[in-house]
Amino acid sequence: MAQPFPYTYYVCDCYDSKTKVSAKRSSQPPPADDEDERTFDPRNPRSNYSLYPLEHLLYCEDCQQIRCSRCVIEETLNWYCPSCLFEVPSSLVKSEGNRCARNCYNCPVCISPMTVNELPKDPSEDDGNGPFYLYCNYCHWSTIEIGIEFERHTQITHQLQRIANGGKPIPTPKEREKERERRRESEWKRKDDIPEINVSHDVDPEPSPDDTFAALASFYKGQIQASTTSSPFSPHDLDFSSPSSFSRIMNMYTSTSSKKTKREKPTPMREAASTFEGLTLHDSTTDSDAIDRIRREGWSITLSPAQKHAQPNPNIRFTSELRPIATLLRTKRGKRCRNCRHILSKPEAKITSTRYKIKLLALNHIPKLHLRALPPPASTPQPTFGSSILTPLPIQPPFDYDHLKPGIPTHFLLTLTNPLFDPIRVTLATPSTTPGKVHSRVTILCPQFEIGANTDVWDDAMSSTITPIRRGSVVGPDGQIQSGIEAGKVWDKGRNWTSIVMEVLPGFLDERQRPSDLSSSFSSDRGGVAENDGHLGWVDDEDEELGVDDDVLEIPIFVRLEFESDAMGEERVVGEDRGKGDKVKREEAFWSVVGVGRIAG
Amino acid sequence: MSRQAARKAAPKGEYIETDSGNKVSRRAHITGTANITLGGRTVIQADVHLRGDLHPTRASTRTDHSAKEQYPTAISIGRCTVISQGVVIRPPHRATGRLHEKRAGIGVEYYPVKVGDNVFVGPNSTISAIHIASHVHIGANTVIHPFVIIKENCKILPNSIIPAHMVIPSGSVVGGQPARVIGEVGEGWGVSAGGMGGAGMGGGGGNGEGPPMWVEGGDLRELVRSIK
Ligand SMILES: [Zn+2]
Ligand SMILES: [Zn+2]
Ligand SMILES: [Zn+2]
Ligand SMILES: [Zn+2]
Repeated sequence: MAQPFPYTYYVCDCYDSKTKVSAKRSSQPPPADDEDERTFDPRNPRSNYSLYPLEHLLYCEDCQQIRCSRCVIEETLNWYCPSCLFEVPSSLVKSEGNRCARNCYNCPVCISPMTVNELPKDPSEDDGNGPFYLYCNYCHWSTIEIGIEFERHTQITHQLQRIANGGKPIPTPKEREKERERRRESEWKRKDDIPEINVSHDVDPEPSPDDTFAALASFYKGQIQASTTSSPFSPHDLDFSSPSSFSRIMNMYTSTSSKKTKREKPTPMREAASTFEGLTLHDSTTDSDAIDRIRREGWSITLSPAQKHAQPNPNIRFTSELRPIATLLRTKRGKRCRNCRHILSKPEAKITSTRYKIKLLALNHIPKLHLRALPPPASTPQPTFGSSILTPLPIQPPFDYDHLKPGIPTHFLLTLTNPLFDPIRVTLATPSTTPGKVHSRVTILCPQFEIGANTDVWDDAMSSTITPIRRGSVVGPDGQIQSGIEAGKVWDKGRNWTSIVMEVLPGFLDERQRPSDLSSSFSSDRGGVAENDGHLGWVDDEDEELGVDDDVLEIPIFVRLEFESDAMGEERVVGEDRGKGDKVKREEAFWSVVGVGRIAG
Repeated sequence: MSRQAARKAAPKGEYIETDSGNKVSRRAHITGTANITLGGRTVIQADVHLRGDLHPTRASTRTDHSAKEQYPTAISIGRCTVISQGVVIRPPHRATGRLHEKRAGIGVEYYPVKVGDNVFVGPNSTISAIHIASHVHIGANTVIHPFVIIKENCKILPNSIIPAHMVIPSGSVVGGQPARVIGEVGEGWGVSAGGMGGAGMGGGGGNGEGPPMWVEGGDLRELVRSIK
């Protein structure tokens, strides 16, 4: 999901940590610090799968690790319809095809929810007796366009199952079964025992997908029964969900029969060979009919791939064949750690409840990073003491993150907020030039600092000693901002947060625009990088053509924190030094990616 | 420049603050004030148009709330909700009576709009929903058609058009034209880590230097406090 600038994504390294485990098993153990040395590249296609907004990440307290959607196991608590908000019992979910069986339908043209409207035959008599139809309030498509009206405004699903497009009634499954029996008998009377490929257009020109499925299902069931008469199991128990019968069906397509030495050879199965057995034959006249129709009526009667895909029968071609789409169900799910199986999140089962029984969030365990352009000197508010009233300032245009100026050093404030109840010591690291085709230079002016503990807000308020702002330096009355920024000093500090300054020199989208003096120093820099670390992919990018989003300035930042926390009785601390008292030294590290903005061309 | 001049002309400030802490911009257009309720500490920004004049008329025939009959509610907005600049809130309506009556031009019935607590409505959005629950974040330039129901903790992406009568279950991320549910908000939606709201108390840290004091879908009290 694209987010507006500036944004921060956090990396869950579950994929890499898995490969690390497998690497340990190999004869050559990798250097211990290899993991930390490697720079995270947000441009790597694989990175798409490990970057998350902080609110989507969970935290396993047992593994002491971030958990993302890839390293959790989901457990479905219940199914419900997102439109009528009724819970659907799990026993019905499968038979109803994961769809709502009430009156919830989506428009087959534009996917909007549809409403049941009345269509009185006589305008002066809309007494609520119908007939009724499904109507899309967004694109105004209605079931009248496919010739479907309903007698009642309830049980739409029930009624829709019995009406084909055009208003013709659809026979019930029982009636269909009877019809099949009848045809089967007539066919067997006409022919010998060996059925031949037979196209019986006269009876049913186009069996519906449901018919075909039912026919195939009963055909294969018959085949299984015929070939397992000697089986000790009762033949009724054998259906397609049984793995043995499934493998037997699959055996028709594979030639691995010699692999198994069967005690008694079952009768070989055969394929469906006639329409009543479920065989569908391709008829070239339907194709030429379709082409003729498109020629006559134009492309507008055809469907988009998305519209086809949403249909119960995705093989239809024309708008006249559309059916309203029954609303897909949604689920409430709990999550467990894939590694240790502990529950990480568990919502309350009630559909209407939005509360959680258990919710272990990453944002309660790792600091939050927030980037913002450093306010230009004029808008920097004068320190006001003991008062929250601001003197009105001239309004400055807000910083335009979508048009960063290339080649002009820009200062950003990076604020880290500590959610932990212990003060933390943070070390930040970033590659000096950003990965990707556009090389921007990044300098973190104060890569090591401390953040206060997340103590109770009211503790602070009660003890009148409010943490004063420790500005790196004072902004002069003339507004000389450059003098205010000092390397190695934090910019600002609060109860449980610290702000530092980051200097960013956005790169040039077109290398030719780069001024010659900058260019020479820059390219020598890059050369140096290439010599030291030849495998860094972005240095020797042959293809200089910029692609989509290559102008987005994203900075990978490695965050490492150290802190001492109370050793909980239940906390299992393995291989960690026990400090004085009951304090335990802990360390945590993760990669994050800050999306600063888009570089102007 | 002209806006600045206009600001100077209003020495009392941009907002009128009510007893319950609601902040209503002097430049908001509110019609039918008697039919609008604000829950307290709610912000109505400039150029917001609240159509309280489009109130239900059927209420007068009811007998249950005899005292309130005179002023049926058209728009009710909860606590700590922010209605941004240029938003229009217009109660949805439905034609009533028989069809032949409609031809004669009678029978348009309005239904009240209910907006919950800690809802953020982005600039220039148009709302005709019947109910927007609490902790919903609505992006800019969104159009919400009549009778839409949005449940708790939803995020509506900017420029979405939500079709009439759509029900959006809680925890949905919604976007598109027409809008559909395109995802779920994370478990941490609306949770500000470590009492972020308190950061502003640490001695004027709210002067635009500290961390953001509110998150989408979270408690908007600090955002309301910062709007002056
Ligand atoms: Zn993961
Ligand atoms: Zn439903
Ligand atoms: Zn539609
Ligand atoms: Zn775990």
